[in-house]
Amino acid sequence: MISVSLNEIYSETYKALRSVNIEWSLAKDCANKAKWLAQHGQNFLGSILKTADLYKNKEISISINENTNKKPLASALMGLLLVEYVSANKITWEGYIDNSKFLLAAMGIIAEEQQINLTLENEQKEIIAFTKEKKIYVNSNLDTKVTSYSSLKTYNYIEEKNTKFTSFKKNKEVTNLNGKCWERLKSMAFETYVPESETSKSGAGY
Amino acid sequence: MSFQNTKINLDYNYPIRPPSTVMKLDRLGSFHQTRLSFTRRLIDDLKYQKSKIEIYQWDIDNSGIGSAIIKIALKKETLSLVIFCHSISDEERTDRVIAEKWDMTFSLFRGVPNNQELNQLSKNLEIQEAGRHNSKQLTLSRANKSQRIFEKVLNDLSIGKQPSEKLINDVGYLVRTTAVYGNGKFGIEDFSKTNGHTFLQKPFQAEMLTVYLVRYFSIELINFLAKKKGGKKSVILSKHLTKHLGVGNATGLGMAPFLVNHQELIHQWIYNRETALSRVFSIKRLNKKTQNKIINYIHQAFKYSLQWKVDDRLQSKKIEKLNLDLKKILQNEELTKLLNFHYPIKRFFNFFKDDITLETQEILNSIFIEPFPELLEDLINNMGAEEKKSVLISYTVNDIIEIIKENFNWAIKIDTSKPEENYCFWYTSQTKLEPRLGITKKDAGIEKQLPFDIAHQIKQAVNKLNKLPSNMTAAEVMINYPELRNIIKRVIINKSMPYSEIQNNLIGKDMKPIDILRCKLSFFGASKYDPKSNLWTRITLFQGAPLPNELWKTNVNDWLFPNLPNV
Repeated sequence: MISVSLNEIYSETYKALRSVNIEWSLAKDCANKAKWLAQHGQNFLGSILKTADLYKNKEISISINENTNKKPLASALMGLLLVEYVSANKITWEGYIDNSKFLLAAMGIIAEEQQINLTLENEQKEIIAFTKEKKIYVNSNLDTKVTSYSSLKTYNYIEEKNTKFTSFKKNKEVTNLNGKCWERLKSMAFETYVPESETSKSGAGY
Repeated sequence: MSFQNTKINLDYNYPIRPPSTVMKLDRLGSFHQTRLSFTRRLIDDLKYQKSKIEIYQWDIDNSGIGSAIIKIALKKETLSLVIFCHSISDEERTDRVIAEKWDMTFSLFRGVPNNQELNQLSKNLEIQEAGRHNSKQLTLSRANKSQRIFEKVLNDLSIGKQPSEKLINDVGYLVRTTAVYGNGKFGIEDFSKTNGHTFLQKPFQAEMLTVYLVRYFSIELINFLAKKKGGKKSVILSKHLTKHLGVGNATGLGMAPFLVNHQELIHQWIYNRETALSRVFSIKRLNKKTQNKIINYIHQAFKYSLQWKVDDRLQSKKIEKLNLDLKKILQNEELTKLLNFHYPIKRFFNFFKDDITLETQEILNSIFIEPFPELLEDLINNMGAEEKKSVLISYTVNDIIEIIKENFNWAIKIDTSKPEENYCFWYTSQTKLEPRLGITKKDAGIEKQLPFDIAHQIKQAVNKLNKLPSNMTAAEVMINYPELRNIIKRVIINKSMPYSEIQNNLIGKDMKPIDILRCKLSFFGASKYDPKSNLWTRITLFQGAPLPNELWKTNVNDWLFPNLPNV
């Protein structure tokens, strides 16, 4: 295990995703979601590496309209864009999404920053998670890691019924990470760096 | 904004200068330290905290090798600067960030380290970036002795002689830092963890405290070594020379992208600076004492400009012109009359502004702010900014186009198809792991460039947006065209934070990175900018600042434009 800071999680994540040519803004959104998950006691690193691999092999979608069970929407990359889109257009989005943990992070971020009430439901119309008063509440009985057909929408009123929901709290950081996975992320980030040129030798201290 | 508690007579708000005037690189590159600068704020905070700074542990040998701990007791917390001094040869001493050996390595630490922690620090601090650091460390830093001055000062003191004022002034520091890392770098504590901590949560406070303590250490070290070398013959450095010593710093391109990447923060800094100026321009009358203060500060600035010596031809010319401008102002017969008029500062500035350079205009602006700390308190304490991760959802295509027309006209005007507007690119260097600048036609790596081509991105966005329905939400645009998300987010931030964007083409041939550096450094509180090229500069921090044993004094923070009388 290696202990890292949140700032390192952010900067190494977006650089690593850039190494497989993921758009700047998507890479930075993903890094913010990774940081949010770390702050809320959720693991994220393995999913980031997997997303990068799937993206590189074109086995994951970044289209909200074209996604399937086999090629679901990449929540790590598109989660924040999706919650903004659903919130701005006040629509219900339905589709296949992979590992929705990152979508939960996106919901948590927009709830904190813009106080938007959203619900995420599965195919059986069970509530997976909802946001309320700057917080996100997650159904403790459902697995959010698997690919599933989901729907995301804004709401005015929500009936919580008898389901047990727990809120993600900001007090248990996951900053002790698997050393091998972290090294892999860092080596991917390193690929975005450029060898030193004569021009760069004009920098500080030369 | 309320001035009810101030005794100063303000009866209207002078309009704040628009971003189109302020956010140009040539003006940003003329900024000087003000009372809002972080070194100045640190001194105020240290005084408020009734801080007690003392040498807690001193294990330095006669040749200056060993370790030391400086303890700083604040109202509710104790911090310490942990120091290791190493033996290195002159050839190994370099300003390059990639250097692997330094005379001294440091870390600002929460609390005082126990033996086990100290042992861990001793292994990791020496190797800096190559080490793994822990979350009790707030900063990570290193410094080298100035080869121009350290040994000379040591020899003089050891034989009972004070070094010459000229020597002290020409260099201005005994040691020069080559990096001061904060905010989670290499495993140290994240800045976000200081949230709610009144002392540390201000931007760059931990970094500034580190540098301030490094200055204290450098002075203690030279006095200690002089005594060891000279015994009874030796003397300690005189107080006025000691105060004129700051800490040097070599700053390059690594710092420049910060202002592009942190839109909200740069807006907050510059907006506060401009607000401060608009407040002092709104003062209706000045009493005699304040008039004299302003004249005295101009005299100080004049002397400072005479003692500001650099090798760089362009900066030398600017300093020469600054000196002439200030001389002309001081000799002008209207000077005292102008300060006696209604709205004296506004009239004073308008009277001279067309005949003086940007460098002089901005040094005057620093002077105008200086006598009115009571007008700045809310601004000084509000230099941080929250950076949002999501994009506000209420905007449409039409809104974005309107903001671009209003706030990004500077970008629209640039012909981005011209080679000179695509002259360079920003990238992260493999060797230094820091941002660097490449020449488009010459250097490899453009495919890995950082997205600092703001003007180009604006043009691409306009082309696309003009073809989309005007009532389409920005969120829908971004989800369909993720390549536009970066610039749409910037445009939306700029709507509410208009000082968040530098209004020049950052990949154009005319762009001088040194201007970006200087802007940021002015907010740090740097003085004596000494550019070594368009890409890097040496500076001095805390020159003229009070020493730790003076922090209790009245007017302790009056140290703008330090100069020595006999240089």
